[in-house]
Amino acid sequence: MGVKIVPRYGKSFKDRTYLSAVFSGMKLTLKHFRANLSDTSSIPTSEYPEVQPTDITERYRGLHRLTHRDDGSVRCVACFMCATACPSNCIFIEAEERFDGIDEKQPARFDIDLLECIFCGYCVEACPCDAIRMDTGIFSIIAKERHEFVINKEELLKNKGAFGEENSLAQ
Amino acid sequence: MHTFMILLPIILTSLFTLATIPLLVWMERRVAALIQNRLGPNRCNIKGIRLGGIVQPVADMLKLLFKEEFYPKHIKQKFYYILAPSIVFGSSFLSFMVIPYADDITIDDYTYHIQALPIELGVLWVIAFAGLGVYGIIIAGWSSHNKYSILGALRASSQVISYEIAMGLALVSMLITYGTISLNPIVQQQGELLFGFIPAWGVVLQPLAALIFIVTAFAETNRAPFDAAEGESEIVAGYHTEYSAMKFALFFMGEYIAMSAASAIIVTLFFGGYQIPWLDTAVMQGNIDLVFISLMLIIPLFSLGFIRWMKKNNSSSLSRQNETKYAIIFIVIGLIAFEGLLFYMLDVGISALQTDLSVMLLQIASFAFKVMMMNFVFVWARWTFPRFRYDQTQHLGWRILLPLALTNIVISAIIVVAGV
Repeated sequence: MGVKIVPRYGKSFKDRTYLSAVFSGMKLTLKHFRANLSDTSSIPTSEYPEVQPTDITERYRGLHRLTHRDDGSVRCVACFMCATACPSNCIFIEAEERFDGIDEKQPARFDIDLLECIFCGYCVEACPCDAIRMDTGIFSIIAKERHEFVINKEELLKNKGAFGEENSLAQ
Repeated sequence: MHTFMILLPIILTSLFTLATIPLLVWMERRVAALIQNRLGPNRCNIKGIRLGGIVQPVADMLKLLFKEEFYPKHIKQKFYYILAPSIVFGSSFLSFMVIPYADDITIDDYTYHIQALPIELGVLWVIAFAGLGVYGIIIAGWSSHNKYSILGALRASSQVISYEIAMGLALVSMLITYGTISLNPIVQQQGELLFGFIPAWGVVLQPLAALIFIVTAFAETNRAPFDAAEGESEIVAGYHTEYSAMKFALFFMGEYIAMSAASAIIVTLFFGGYQIPWLDTAVMQGNIDLVFISLMLIIPLFSLGFIRWMKKNNSSSLSRQNETKYAIIFIVIGLIAFEGLLFYMLDVGISALQTDLSVMLLQIASFAFKVMMMNFVFVWARWTFPRFRYDQTQHLGWRILLPLALTNIVISAIIVVAGV
C-alpha cells in the first residue's frame, strides 16, 4: 500500500507573515461585493411577500386537509390512527355514527391545533383511508388569536390539494 | 460669522460621530449582506420610501429606546453598572475632538482652526482617550457580576494593553517622520509632493508603520478579527452580556464611534487627512475657477452613474418603481440648482471669502469621503476574517507587531538623523 505524503502548508515565511492570505481573502470578498453591488439581480434572495416560492415539491408537508370520497362526503372514518400516531398530540377527534349507508363511522369533530403541530407527517402515514393529507402547499398560516390556529373539520375539508388527486384514493 | 466659524468644527464633530452611527450600522449590514450574496435589510420604510434600507437603523434605535430599563437583581454596584457604558461612549466620542476637518482659515484677520479642540498635543489626546475606553469595558465586566462578562472584560483589557504598545510605537515612528505631535501640521505636511508627483502621505513614507497602526487600530476598537472580547461562541456576549435597552445601545454606539474615530485618525496620519491629492490649499485657492469648472463636470457624471445604477438595481420588486422615479427627479433638481449656483458664482466672480469657504467645504468633503472609505475597510475586514484565537492575538501583538514597530522606529530615526 502506497503512502500518500500530504504537503503541510503554513511553515514558509510567506505563509507565516499572513499577509498574502489576508489580501487574497479580502480580494475574494471584494469580488463578491462588487459583483453583487453592480447587479443585484444576481443575488439568489427572493423578495418573499411579493415573490412567492416556486420550488415547493409534491412531497412538501404543508397545511393539512381532509379528503373527500367520490360522492363528496368526508373520507375519514374516525379511527383515531392519526391522533394516536401524532407525537405532539395536536389532533382532536370526536366520532359519531354514520347513517347514510356509505360507511359506519365519521368524525363529528376533527380539530388540529396548528400551534402544537410539528408538521412531521405521521398522521398522513398512519391514515389507512388516505383521509388526511398535507399536500396543500400552504406554508404560511396566519391568525391574530391563539384559538384561530385550531382549525376544525369544515376548514380542513375546504382546503384543496395543490398536487395530485383531489379525492381519496382508498376505496 | 465669528460664532458660526467657532461652532462649525463642534457641529462637524457631532455629525461625524453621532450622525454617522445609523449610516455605519446600515453600511455594516448591507456590505455584509452583499459580501455573502444576500440583500440585507431593505424592508423598513417611511410611507413606502426605503432609501435602500437606511431607515432600518432608525427603527433599531427606536426599538432600543422603548425597551424596558431592566436591572438584573444580582447587580450590587448599580452606579458602576450604569457608568460603564457611558465611559465607553464618552471616551470614543472625545477622541474625535482633535481631528482637523479642513485647513486653518483666516477671515477678517482671525485664524480659525477647523478642529473641535484646537490643541497642540493632538496625537496624545487621541491615544489617551483610545486607551480610556477600555476602562468602561473593565468596569462593565466587573460590575455585571457574571463570569462571562468578567472573562470578556479580561480579554478586552489584556488585548488593548498589549496592542496599545505596538500602536504607540508605530505612532512614535510617524512623529519622528513629521517632527510634530499636532495633527494639523501633520496633515499640512502630507499635502506636499514626493519627487514632484507622489502625494507625501504617511502610508507612502512609512508603509510598515501604517500597517502596524491599522492592525492595532482594529484591535483597539475590539472589532473583528480581534473581537474575542465578545466571542459569542464561547462567552455569550462578553462584557455586555448583562446589558439591555439603551445601556446596550451605548456600548453599540460607542463601538461604532470608536471605529469612526480610528478611521479618522488613520486617515489623518496616513492618508493625507483632508488633503485632496495634488491639490493643497494654496493651489486650490489659486485656481478656484478651474476647481469649480471641474466640479461642474465631475458631479453630473457621478449623478448620472448613480441614476443608471438605481434604474438597473432599485426595481427588484414591483412596489418600488415610484421610489426610483422620485429619487431621479430629486437628484436632477439638485443637480440643476448646484450647476446654476456654481455658474452664477463663476459669472459674477468669486470673492476671497467665498474662495476660502469653498476650499474648506471641499476639504471637509474629502475628509468625510476618506473616513467613510476607511470605515468600509473596517466593515470589509470584519466580514472577511474569522476571529483570532486568544493566544494568537497575544502572539501577534507581542512577538510580531512589537519587534516590527521597534525596528521601524530605529530605521526611521537613522534616516531622519542622517538627514536623507
